[in-house]
Amino acid sequence: MKLKYLLSVVAAGSALLTGCKKDFLETQPTEFITPDQLGSAAAQDPKLLDGNIAGLYTAMFTVGIGGTTRHDDFGQKGVDIYSDMLSSDMVLAALNYGWYEPVARMTATVDFTRNEDYIPFRYYYKQIFGANTIIDILGGTDAVPTNPKLKITMGQAKAMRAYGYFYLTQLYATEYGDGTKKILPMYKSAEPIPENINRPKSTTKEIWDLMISDLTTAISYLDTYTRTSKDQVDKNVAKGLLAYVLAARGTPADWAQIVTLTNDITAAYPKTTAAQLVYNGTNAATAGFNSVSTPSWMWGVDLTLAQDLDLISWWGQVDLFTYSYAWAGDPKTIDEGLYNQIHTDDIRKAQFDPPGGGLEASYGYNPGDFDYMPVNKFFDPGRVDGGQRNVVTDLIYMRADEFYLLNAEAKARSGQDGPARTALTTFLTDRITDLSYINALSGQALLNEIYLQTRIELWGEGKSYLAMKRNKATITRGANHLFFDGDPFVYTDPKLTFVIPQAEVVNNPNLDK
Amino acid sequence: MAQRVITGKVTDDKGNALPNVSVNIKETGAGTITNTEGNFSLTVTANAKTLVFSAVDFAPYEVAIGSQSSINASLKAQDQTLSEVVVVGYSTTTKEAFTGSAKAVNGAQLSSKNVSNVSQALAGEVAGVRVINTSGQPGTAATIRIRGFGSVNGNRDPLYVVDGVPYSGGTSSINPSDIASLTVLKDAAATSIYGSRGANGVIVITTKTGRGAKSYIEVDGRYGSNMSLIPRYSVITSPEEYIALSWEAIYNQGVAVGNANPTNYANTRLFSANGISANNNIWNVTNGADLIDPTTRTVKPGVTRKYDPERWEDYAFQSSNRVESNIRLGGGDAKSNYFTSFGYLEDKGYSVNSNFKRLSGRVNLNHEVKPWLATSLNVSYTNRTTNNNGQEANSNSVFWFVDNIPPFYPLFLRDAQGNKVADPIFGGYQYDYGSNGRKFGSLTNAIADANYNTLRAIRNELSTNATITIKFTKNLSLDNRLGIQYYNDNYVERTNKFYGSAASQNGSIYHRNNELMNQNLLNMLRYNNKFGSHSIEVLAAHEATKYKLTQGTASGYNLVDNYGLELTNAIVINPTANSYANTNRLESYFAQANYNYDNTYFLSASVRTDGSSKFIKGKTWGTFGSIGAGWILSKMNFLQNIRIIDYLKLKASYGVIGDQTGVGNYIAFTRIDVGNLNDQPSFGIPIPSNPLLTWERSKVFQVGTDFKLGTFLTGSVEYYVKKTDNLIFESRLAPSNGYVIRTVNDGLLKNQGIEFDLTGHIINKRDYFLNVGVNGEHFTNKILKMPLDPLGFQKPIDISNAPYGWARGGSIFDFYVRNFEGVDPANGTSMWTVYYDDLNNNKAFDAGEQVLDLETFYFSNPAKKGTLLKSTTKTYSQATQYFIGKSAIPKLRGAFNINTGYKGFDLNVQFLYSIGGYAYDGAYAGLMANGLIGGNNWSTDIRNRWQKAGDVTNVPRLSNNQDANVASSSSRFITKADYLALNNIRLGYTLPKAFIERINFVDDISIFISGDNLWLSSKRDGFNPSTAENGSSSTYRYSPLSTISGGLKVKF
Repeated sequence: MKLKYLLSVVAAGSALLTGCKKDFLETQPTEFITPDQLGSAAAQDPKLLDGNIAGLYTAMFTVGIGGTTRHDDFGQKGVDIYSDMLSSDMVLAALNYGWYEPVARMTATVDFTRNEDYIPFRYYYKQIFGANTIIDILGGTDAVPTNPKLKITMGQAKAMRAYGYFYLTQLYATEYGDGTKKILPMYKSAEPIPENINRPKSTTKEIWDLMISDLTTAISYLDTYTRTSKDQVDKNVAKGLLAYVLAARGTPADWAQIVTLTNDITAAYPKTTAAQLVYNGTNAATAGFNSVSTPSWMWGVDLTLAQDLDLISWWGQVDLFTYSYAWAGDPKTIDEGLYNQIHTDDIRKAQFDPPGGGLEASYGYNPGDFDYMPVNKFFDPGRVDGGQRNVVTDLIYMRADEFYLLNAEAKARSGQDGPARTALTTFLTDRITDLSYINALSGQALLNEIYLQTRIELWGEGKSYLAMKRNKATITRGANHLFFDGDPFVYTDPKLTFVIPQAEVVNNPNLDK
Repeated sequence: MAQRVITGKVTDDKGNALPNVSVNIKETGAGTITNTEGNFSLTVTANAKTLVFSAVDFAPYEVAIGSQSSINASLKAQDQTLSEVVVVGYSTTTKEAFTGSAKAVNGAQLSSKNVSNVSQALAGEVAGVRVINTSGQPGTAATIRIRGFGSVNGNRDPLYVVDGVPYSGGTSSINPSDIASLTVLKDAAATSIYGSRGANGVIVITTKTGRGAKSYIEVDGRYGSNMSLIPRYSVITSPEEYIALSWEAIYNQGVAVGNANPTNYANTRLFSANGISANNNIWNVTNGADLIDPTTRTVKPGVTRKYDPERWEDYAFQSSNRVESNIRLGGGDAKSNYFTSFGYLEDKGYSVNSNFKRLSGRVNLNHEVKPWLATSLNVSYTNRTTNNNGQEANSNSVFWFVDNIPPFYPLFLRDAQGNKVADPIFGGYQYDYGSNGRKFGSLTNAIADANYNTLRAIRNELSTNATITIKFTKNLSLDNRLGIQYYNDNYVERTNKFYGSAASQNGSIYHRNNELMNQNLLNMLRYNNKFGSHSIEVLAAHEATKYKLTQGTASGYNLVDNYGLELTNAIVINPTANSYANTNRLESYFAQANYNYDNTYFLSASVRTDGSSKFIKGKTWGTFGSIGAGWILSKMNFLQNIRIIDYLKLKASYGVIGDQTGVGNYIAFTRIDVGNLNDQPSFGIPIPSNPLLTWERSKVFQVGTDFKLGTFLTGSVEYYVKKTDNLIFESRLAPSNGYVIRTVNDGLLKNQGIEFDLTGHIINKRDYFLNVGVNGEHFTNKILKMPLDPLGFQKPIDISNAPYGWARGGSIFDFYVRNFEGVDPANGTSMWTVYYDDLNNNKAFDAGEQVLDLETFYFSNPAKKGTLLKSTTKTYSQATQYFIGKSAIPKLRGAFNINTGYKGFDLNVQFLYSIGGYAYDGAYAGLMANGLIGGNNWSTDIRNRWQKAGDVTNVPRLSNNQDANVASSSSRFITKADYLALNNIRLGYTLPKAFIERINFVDDISIFISGDNLWLSSKRDGFNPSTAENGSSSTYRYSPLSTISGGLKVKF
């Protein structure tokens, strides 16, 4: 009978071995990391802290960052496609899988239940939250870090916060106006205290003031900083962002400051060369807007297989030579009206497949299948239709050419038509053969030409919409649009600006307080 | 010691003599049995005080001997089911003694259905248990819902317990033919002993043993055919009808855009970049004018085709085989018994290249080592292979293609002359990947992909459970049980190197390896005793569970061998390979007491405290418990004389049960994803957590009755109220905060319902019987409290689960949508309801006055309640979202079971029904849309479309995508979800004993033929509301297959 009790003790002992351990109920994740785990790891290896700011840059191209599983939700470049389509320069030329249809037909911008309203809103506020988290760690918006390394992090975080607010103001507000209109909630801290939760809308002036202050601080903090890769914000990127912010407000003083800012940038970066602009049959390795090492690129990211991007990406949506939608029946093409305005002696005209012929024959397609597609501007170097399966072609956020053009625009708006013409002519010399017509332009005609060249030069790069807003333009859709072809839209048309999504309206009771 | 003889006669309550009744002396155990006349004679010693009469199907009867020498007894027939052992919680009981709600389904009932996953066999068997077969892929586990919907965002799945151990393995690894019984536990008294995991019901599976059987061999084999018998959506199948509709769509577009000559507009555009690509013109004419007669709007007579496009369905679906065979060996003596089984199943789906194979083996051993020491060991091993081709929710979906591709697109590639193009690689003909202008699923071909690619999972699963029971005394024992579930699941996706998505990479391979190790250790003390008429059972236990699921993925491309599945076959390996583990732990202390007075009054109580690793310190532990009571009224004197009431029991229970299954393992931690940027770490934007998160709690009350009226009717009726508070609720935040979900314990949800299970024994003759059963449930689900906003008020509405809206007072499946008001007879466009705030007081709706979201508007403008006016709008974005008064929750749902037999034949028929709910038929919406022509097929209901001014219809005009939002989410596609389904018919024949006895080595032979999922009646063909929790349809769904099979079972 003693065995009975011995066995019982063994059985009870086995319980002690498992359940009764004090830490039995404590488990740690391995799929992701927690702030505590990161803190301990960083205590051993302080370099890790650089990874925080890198997270904001990674978010810029992360699939699903706008809170959905849709195939048009992949960060900044996804929003760029929205805005290019709204400005009408990018045409959704056919519907097969149907992504972007509600944007192209402008039903999304008037329907607050649509995800197209939600995705950019969610994305930029998430960036702002991420930036605020870092700013909080460094002591808050008003703190001045003394450690040089932390100063750089603070500068980058503030620039990214301003970047978030800038796109929000462009997409969700019609214009700056007189600065008194309440447009969007503004958060300066991520600390979970009541005044940082469900903020009411702030005025345009309040938001512009924050953006300008953040970017000015960033420029100063990043003054001597040399970045290790172009996905990071440096002084010049901050200057570029500030130039856009000021241009969107557009006071005379703003334009004067833009002249200075853009002078700095153009002094630092070359413009994109002719050989880089357009495929000519031999330069597949240098053209194609697919390499962040292109000297004119100021801000962009080097994508590798490690980022695991495929058809849900900007390249998937726009590039014929990537396995995805542009190839599979939802081509993105240039507006016919814009195409027709490109001079015949402009090398950039060849960026697009000409109507009724062109590249199709050599790829075994029917004439017309590639019409107006940017087959010689953006491409995977392999140039095989539907070829690139894992996307490793890089993404561009900002290039010097934007500021060569903005420099001309700022000069023109500051009443310096002569310097503006010079700036424009200099910029266009290796693009258009006969530039003599520019000398005849002045005043609004000159501004119109700069606007047109901006649309042509930066087609498909997410800049046309910004130009439309700051030029207070009326756009007219070309004949190749599926919807509203031939119709004009004033920049103030509600169809051209997104509405605050229903998820915000429903869940933020303070919104209009 | 004086001995004397007692004689007597035993009869039933009608006075018939009862042979073979055991007559025993209670004190000594000595006894005899009655003879054919019911008489007995027994010698008793002086210490004998009580005689016990017992017989199968009769209630035991005890009588004091006293000084009598003649004792007659009248035994009362007892419903067999009442004395059947029911496995509940950590102990067994009888249906009679149980205070909670448990329904046992025996193995024979389960195996009458030809399903490969035991969860599917549960359909229709238990009131209040809903079995949702979400896919026709063989082996798929059904979604089970017991008593409504227990949580908003938390867990709604029941807990499975196999042979006493909470089960984390796959249900499709369990061979249904190994199951002796399955018990569904529904109320708190039954489930609270599982504290942490029982809130949504418990399914207790007990496998067979050899106990009490002489050694036997049982062999069964089944052979059947799977097919798609339930109709699919009725769609346009004639290319001519499709092209005529397309022509009309462009014509209407021409009218809509103000074209002066819409006929010409349609004629020239039909085959163009604005219509259907000329490459896809299958007719021997070149333009719309030659093809279509503009007056009849049909294809002109005499127009011929270049070729006949294939019907995709013919190549996607097949009748396929289902083969199953099992061998079971069992037996034992008083000390030891064994059960061994081997099973083989091959179940092919009707969709091409989808199948399930299972090889399983099991050994169950029980051995009494010493009078005080018993052991048992159950081990089962399963190897299963699943091929899942063509079922993804994307353009690889075979089902999306079959139902939605316009009928003029060919399956095989055609050359300019319309001839099929030979395939030099795989032989046969090349599939058409739609690269020449196909506007549906272009650059893909789901059927080709399903044939050429591999999506395969192989799982090896081991489940074991070892118990040692030590009896300290007759009354006190200790159980020590270790349960382990282990599996390794290797999923491989291979995309072929010649055609389709990986052709440009020369093929690709993706691997995902999942490994589960789940350990469960139980130590339990049990005490039983009986004092006179009082008997008690008390148990106290400690249980600990460790769960660890490790996942690893790797992929590569550029294949050497097109068919090789291992990564060495890929020249380039992607750098995204990774692995991680998810772990959780549970620790519990619990106790239970059951008390029984005179087999008439029953009381039970349990208490359990659980700690979960999902919650962080301070929030880890939760305490739950229940009490239950049962009273068998029919044993009371005042009912003894009412003959009709054979049996009547009342029971009631109340308990508090917890749940933590529904939240992620690390929900209480702030999450930071780790990424790679330039080969340096990149830490994702933090996703804040709620460290205060803890157990969800359900308070469950039930009353019920079990009864038997005469010999005609048995049944039970139960009423329950289940209130879940501390709800695990994904409370939505405004996206401007930077994060949108905060998982909280907040809100209050109430499920209440009534369940009935009635069986009428219509005929019960010697050779012939007929039973008709019906079971059903009616329940309501109501959100009594919404979670609080960070600012402290209850959220007016949560729209995150569209088309449903969550608000106080509503259910979790109330439709909150725009209301479709029909079609304007003047021009055929859609109209929707708009509520408007008549700011300019003109009693008419003007743009800008619309209210877009009624609940939010009332919340911000409470004074406006009742002042809004209603109108219609033709602009979808102006229409109002509001509760339209329809819900996905049915009024009544359940099953009919008809069970009849004549001599050796028996026939079972089972119907499932559901009445009174609504569901969103999204797949149908896609077939009634107004996209660009050639972009999607139409339902045949499109024939009812508006065609000319004055047409009164609710189907808007076709306009080649000119009219927006035609098929956008609205009440238009909210469909009555009533259905009646013929779930199972089985006709069996057991060879007569007399015949069997002549074959002396065989004990039993039976044969059967059966059919599963044979017929469905719903609102429309193709719409099968039984396949989703909320009844909604999906264009990607693999509709459950139908099986007809025959089989043979022989016992040696």
